[in-house]
Amino acid sequence: MAPGEDDPGFPGPDSVRPAIGEDTVSRRRFIKWVLGFSVTSIAAMVITPIVSFLVPAKQETTGAGARVLAGTTTDIPSGTGKVVAMGSSPVIVINTDSTPSGVKAYSAVCTHLGCIVGYDSTTRVIVCPCHDGHFNPANGAVISGPPPAPLKTIDVAVEKDQIFLVRG
Amino acid sequence: MAAAGRAEGTGSRVGDFFETRLRIGPLLSALVHVRIPIEARPYYLGGITLFLFGVQVVTGTLLALYYQPTPDAAYDSVKYITSVVEFGWLIRSVHHWGANLMIICVVLHLLRVFAHGAYKFPREFIWIAGAGLLLATIGFGFTGYLLPWDQRAFWATTVGTEIAGSVPVIGDGLLGLLRGGADVTAATLSRFFGMHVLVLPLGLGALLLAHLVIVHQLGLANPKRPEPRPGTFGASATAAPEKLRPFWPDYVLDEVIAWAVMLAILVILASVFPAGLEDKADPLITPQHVKPEWYFLSVYQLLKLVPRIVGIMAPIVAIGALVFLPFLDRNPAVTPRKRPIAILVALAAIAVMVGLTVWGQYS
Amino acid sequence: MNDRMPLLARARGLTRQARLGFLMAILCASGLAIAQGSAAKGAAQGAAPSPGLVAESSPGPSAPAADASPSVLPSSAPSPDESETAAPTNACAACHKAISAPQRAIAEQWEASIHGKNGVGCADCHGGDPTSDEIGVAMDPAKGFIGKPTRSQTVALCGTCHSDVNRMRQYQIPTDQLVKYQASVHGQRLINSKDVRVAICIDCHGSHDVKKASDPTAAVYPLNVPKLCASCHADAAKMKPYGIPTNQYALYAASVHGKALLATQDLRAPTCASCHGSHDAKPPKSTEVVQVCGKCHTATQALYEQSKHARLDVGPKCWTCHGNHDVAQPDESRFFHPEDVIFDCATCHNPADQTLILNADRFAKDADRRCDTCHHSASQIYAQAQGIHDALDQANQAFLGAQARIAEAAGAGMIVSDADVELSEARTNLIQARAAVHTTKLTVVAKLAAAAESKAAAARKFADARLNESTFRREAMVVVVAIIFVNVVLLYLMRRRIERGRGTEP
Repeated sequence: MAPGEDDPGFPGPDSVRPAIGEDTVSRRRFIKWVLGFSVTSIAAMVITPIVSFLVPAKQETTGAGARVLAGTTTDIPSGTGKVVAMGSSPVIVINTDSTPSGVKAYSAVCTHLGCIVGYDSTTRVIVCPCHDGHFNPANGAVISGPPPAPLKTIDVAVEKDQIFLVRG
Repeated sequence: MAAAGRAEGTGSRVGDFFETRLRIGPLLSALVHVRIPIEARPYYLGGITLFLFGVQVVTGTLLALYYQPTPDAAYDSVKYITSVVEFGWLIRSVHHWGANLMIICVVLHLLRVFAHGAYKFPREFIWIAGAGLLLATIGFGFTGYLLPWDQRAFWATTVGTEIAGSVPVIGDGLLGLLRGGADVTAATLSRFFGMHVLVLPLGLGALLLAHLVIVHQLGLANPKRPEPRPGTFGASATAAPEKLRPFWPDYVLDEVIAWAVMLAILVILASVFPAGLEDKADPLITPQHVKPEWYFLSVYQLLKLVPRIVGIMAPIVAIGALVFLPFLDRNPAVTPRKRPIAILVALAAIAVMVGLTVWGQYS
Repeated sequence: MNDRMPLLARARGLTRQARLGFLMAILCASGLAIAQGSAAKGAAQGAAPSPGLVAESSPGPSAPAADASPSVLPSSAPSPDESETAAPTNACAACHKAISAPQRAIAEQWEASIHGKNGVGCADCHGGDPTSDEIGVAMDPAKGFIGKPTRSQTVALCGTCHSDVNRMRQYQIPTDQLVKYQASVHGQRLINSKDVRVAICIDCHGSHDVKKASDPTAAVYPLNVPKLCASCHADAAKMKPYGIPTNQYALYAASVHGKALLATQDLRAPTCASCHGSHDAKPPKSTEVVQVCGKCHTATQALYEQSKHARLDVGPKCWTCHGNHDVAQPDESRFFHPEDVIFDCATCHNPADQTLILNADRFAKDADRRCDTCHHSASQIYAQAQGIHDALDQANQAFLGAQARIAEAAGAGMIVSDADVELSEARTNLIQARAAVHTTKLTVVAKLAAAAESKAAAARKFADARLNESTFRREAMVVVVAIIFVNVVLLYLMRRRIERGRGTEP
């Protein structure tokens, strides 16, 4: 970019107009310099975001139907439950019995005040620790307490011992 | 610009390499010649709109690479674009603001052309193509608004499509056609996405081509005096030869400067007010203040105030009048002073539209 | 004292009026339809004061014989079984509708009532023969006609059917109301003090217009219960003889419970009956209140049971800190008086031997429901209470700070879902820590409060990162805009040079 600043033919608005030939040459140089700067700087500003945008992000994709591994049936044996993260939302996975259809998953956010629910292996119900809201692990329905609505169901797929959550 | 520069054919080696193989020089030199009267004051609005359309094409294409047009995935994919993908927030925000600015610029361009009487003979078809471009732009905005599938998008589309539902006789059919069913559902999203990325770009592209080709052939209008009609005695004979301004490079350079300013505005808006995302659309929870996009607010508010039949027929008649304006307004004069009725009607229409929009916003 | 006129005498008077009405009706049957209308009107004007409304107001010194015996047992009431064999035609309504507008209203109320719809007829309560349209027969005391039952008769009368398991089984409703009523403050006064001003069945359920409790228009529908109780208990004149306060409804209506029920119409919120009982209405005792509140506040009760307070015989109960009718949303200000406390030793200690007692386990003034009402600021327990307070306060401040920061980031257009998740975990721990105050254990509270604080810190970190990102974007934007500006200036200069250059070329 230095040549432009050094350019002796760069006239201020009030400067005396140089001879025709000299002026034409310096004008051409100036125009080239300006065009070069403009094209380069604008292209850099436009192309950088576009190329970065196209590079796949390291974080897993979040499209619907994407499967998230929540754990294995060894992590979550029959009669237990665990809160896992699906993307940025907490999900409670419960292994009610050893069959694949016995693995259930619900949004772990209590419908009362938004506390994170847990699974009580003794009484075999989902319990919100804040105000003792109880949910049915079979369908997410409210059994007792203040929650106004059932927990949102998350689809689960069990393959061998692996438990996958399916994004809805 | 670079290509046009080469076409000037200074006999550079690269220029010769292409020129001998493409023979494109004459075409390019023809393209860079547009008749521009020295009195013309286009304020570069048409060119800025063209630039914004280009921005929308680029950013829209990029967004489509990540976007998933199903209700289950749309919201998450937009959230992913906004929060995870590098510069995703920028691309999305630029697309968001580009859309709004484009509608504003199209309207300002239309008002400028109206004020200068530039739609009169022989430019009737430029105007009609331009009116089509305005409608296509609004169509873009309307279909694009739903795509993030958040609460605001869902409910704005719900009430927006309801406007179509109140058209007499064909209302229900039109509503079903728009929504792809009785309600805003997955079918609506598919339709809107298809319209937004296939139908409207092709339609707008075709209209734009027509618009630009005719402008290129006829040049800009002189806002000081009407174009002489063939056979009109004396018009061309008495008038002094028109002073012109070179399209290349003067006019083009001005446009480029305006584009750079517009790019700066876009970057500022996108950084300071990035496109947000509300909660995911939930058909069971109606938010407190449901409103359509701002450019539909006037129609929406009108519908609330007057009987349905009036509320829906008034905009339809207005659009019809707008499209066929060159054939309705037979006054040959172009200076505002000589066509007071047209100017007053337009001012009244603007006042009503702005008034209704503001009223709709604050009600 | 006309309203205390013996029932049978009044019934006879009524009979005379009715007979006149009948006579005229028969005359009119010959074709003078218009005359019939006016005759019925005449009969209406001549009718005795509506028997349904008079007797309740005040107990006379000369209470009739029926009231004198504690007849809360079903014996003296007419046996409804007899009427069950009667033909389904209810002649009572046919005639009484024709007598007068109030009589007609009574008949219509009964027809619309749950009793009317399920075949419980007039004679089931009033006695007599409902199959006869001859007044002398239908309302013959020999046929068991008692006219309007007395207030103490009424309880027994309702109880006859409603305590009969076999009769009530088909309706799936309980049969313990009479027994419960007899144990209530209302019932006890009726039985022991012969006080007929107390609430009896019909005062809440209505007499002729009895509705299901699940009917939203019924006075006993949960949303309507506070108003129903208040209709007597907020009436200073009615409560004067008993010397009990009348501000409960006002206090309740302003409480969290009252607002939830009356304003939000949350049917899960407690009505008067939820704590006092309905048929068995009686204020809970100090020894009972923990169970009463714990019926809904299960988790809190469980925590309280672990506390030192629960193990003391004279320890503070729920209402010591929260009040009863005026329960408010608790917060950290509930720990201490804002200003210095003037201690009264006698509040907690027996002046004679300094042993621990709690003279008042309820404080009328909300300002007194604080830890430092009992725990002197020099005491070790006060220090512990302060520790609990500080831990909670710190966690709460951290939570609010994170929340504000997240709102700020969201306001800058950033997506903050990861911060929101951390914040909801912080909220979970904070709510748990607050509930753990009931254990009075500093370690339990401090642990949960620390967890809440660290979650809030994590949430804040996410929000900070988003805000930094937003700031970076704006700074980068300034650079980009500056470059664009330089371009604009240069292009403008270039354009000027081109124009000037052209100017030199002819």
